[in-house]
Amino acid sequence: MAGPGGGSNDVQWCFSQVKGSIDDDVAEADIISTVEFNHSGELLATGDKGGRVVIFQQEPESKNQPQCRGEYNVYSTFQSHEPEFDYLKSLEIEEKINKIRWLPQKNAAQFLLSTNDKTIKLWKISERDKRPEGYNLKEEDGRYRDPNSVTALRVPVFRPMDLMVEASPRRVFANAHTYHINSISVNSDYETYLSADDLRINLWHLEITDRSFNIVDIKPANMEELTEVITAAEFHPNQCNTFVYSSSKGTIRMCDMRASALCDKHAKLFEEPEDPNNRSFFSEIISSISDVKFSHSGRYMMTRDYLSVKIWDLNMETRPVETYQVHEYLRSKLCSLYENDCIFDKFECCWNGNDSVVMTGSYNNFFRMFDRGYRQDVTLEASRENSKPRSVLKPRKVSTGGKRKKDEISVDSLDFNKKILHTAWHPLDNIIAVATTNNLYIFQEKLN
Amino acid sequence: MTLSKDTSMLGRGVKRKWSCLEELEAEGLPDAAEEKQQSASDESAESGDEAGLLPPRSDMSHLQQRQLVLGLCLEKLQRYQAGMELSLRRSVLLINTLRQIQEEMRSDGVGTCTSDVLLNGVHPDSCLLRDDFREEDMPVTCPGCAEGDAESLSPPLSPEFPSPEAAGDQQKPPPAATVSTFSDAVNAMGYLSDLALDDIFEDIDTSMYETSDLPSAWSAGSLWPVSVSLWPDEDVKMRPGSHSSAGSLQSCLTDLNELDHIMEILVKS
Repeated sequence: MAGPGGGSNDVQWCFSQVKGSIDDDVAEADIISTVEFNHSGELLATGDKGGRVVIFQQEPESKNQPQCRGEYNVYSTFQSHEPEFDYLKSLEIEEKINKIRWLPQKNAAQFLLSTNDKTIKLWKISERDKRPEGYNLKEEDGRYRDPNSVTALRVPVFRPMDLMVEASPRRVFANAHTYHINSISVNSDYETYLSADDLRINLWHLEITDRSFNIVDIKPANMEELTEVITAAEFHPNQCNTFVYSSSKGTIRMCDMRASALCDKHAKLFEEPEDPNNRSFFSEIISSISDVKFSHSGRYMMTRDYLSVKIWDLNMETRPVETYQVHEYLRSKLCSLYENDCIFDKFECCWNGNDSVVMTGSYNNFFRMFDRGYRQDVTLEASRENSKPRSVLKPRKVSTGGKRKKDEISVDSLDFNKKILHTAWHPLDNIIAVATTNNLYIFQEKLN
Repeated sequence: MTLSKDTSMLGRGVKRKWSCLEELEAEGLPDAAEEKQQSASDESAESGDEAGLLPPRSDMSHLQQRQLVLGLCLEKLQRYQAGMELSLRRSVLLINTLRQIQEEMRSDGVGTCTSDVLLNGVHPDSCLLRDDFREEDMPVTCPGCAEGDAESLSPPLSPEFPSPEAAGDQQKPPPAATVSTFSDAVNAMGYLSDLALDDIFEDIDTSMYETSDLPSAWSAGSLWPVSVSLWPDEDVKMRPGSHSSAGSLQSCLTDLNELDHIMEILVKS
């Protein structure tokens, strides 16, 4: 990692690439719903509302331009999920890809899990750059030869061909979730993974599709008593027995699978007492956690609620060790945001490779980075206007007071339709992927 | 603020009418969201007032906000009626907000309108609230106070009510008759939640309202005609004679609208 990233003086971010249509008219199927780097950072996967997965591959660094890291180009595109219809409930099951998680690479092929509301699929992405040629009974185009015309025998050989990337579904994990799946997380044992919906979490073995274990169930006996749902879940990066799940009431529960088969009793409960000064009708809604992510080290976890990002030390349950305000200027606008449903938006968050900087999205195509070490933060914008190659991104500022300085944007001018919900950080380098509604922006650290 | 009202391109938006809150914000009233929850005293109203306006207003705008949020809650939950699926998370959050508002209304004492109070025509809270009332504002309607406004806002539940209200009304400027759809629903539900149904409908045939879809919680006085139908036990695939969840809530809300309609006829006759 080249120095601390984010808001410190060391790192400047440059535009690198933008993927997606330039059209202002957004086709609903093109709306990006998830972004994820693989473990090496070489591959970048996106899922969209139309059920498609697009994988980009980083070009190897060229010797001509050592100051520029490789570009990401389309590697594979496939239709992961199709819309389905639940006849029993008369409801359509959306094909939108809610989450993608990569498996660590074990052989030449790549594997990822992708999920919609109901079904998880394991996809194998493999390369084919050779093909057999010289069959005795078939022509090159596949037509069968007349056996009488065969006068000599030859051994077919593998010849190089243009690279072909194939994606094939290897496992389909279906019919295990009554409610909508919001998270999947691969365990550090690389054999199991969890899937979480609004009320339950299931544990799967990657090889077994007809069975899963229910490890958390918060469904009340009487649905009228339901007051809380599960919003996100993740396995600990190192401890294969530990996972956390967050709730709509702003709590995080950590569970130990060794304790019992059904982890309804949490081992730890992380909850910050509410600030009585900030109490409003919307307190609960804005406390709802939209994302939870362990740090790479496994020592901390980060949660995202509507207005802030919180870093928790796993050893301290009473309050977070760090709290960063993402867009505090929205606190006075909560009623309007409630009215237009923006208050229900679910923002994700991510760590950089060495856990020194965290990033999350906001409105107006702004995204924020918080440098934990230098205690600095920066607001940047993903827009076509700043998309000259290698142009440095200028920090943005939202003016909250009366006087608006030059280059500042006032809260009332923010476009709440332009929201950045999904961001991802390369596991090793300062390369980030930021998804606007239907475009994927890739920014890189400015290298001199 | 340019909060785009039409978010339909993202698949979940609903076109909105011009919000009363926008008027409030434009006029520079203290931002309602910054109000702290009011107890009986007003001293707490000092802080969090961004626009720098005086505390006494905050009491009313808190109630206004509460009314607005209540109405919006119902409007959003009514999306089932439009056939739009609401995520479980969102419905839980909406219902919890609704509960919070109901609790607050209960503890404020405004939810306990009895026939006696209404007939007397004067409700202590209603005087307090109407002092600062401005005509272009959204009517402040807690169920109790709304009795006074009932004439212009929404039909009272009994033909007996209008006369005492008219008497009480004369001293105060009548509020603007801005009847919005959710205000209707709110008032209707507010009334029905706390008034014994039997008292009102003594001589009216209520058999059409006594369907199996209306949960018993309704008559028990809770504000939850929506809760049971909203979260059917999805695990139970087969239910005797059941419709989809959208269906039961839909008929629940249809009944509400029919009730409103009936009330209007009763008042005018």
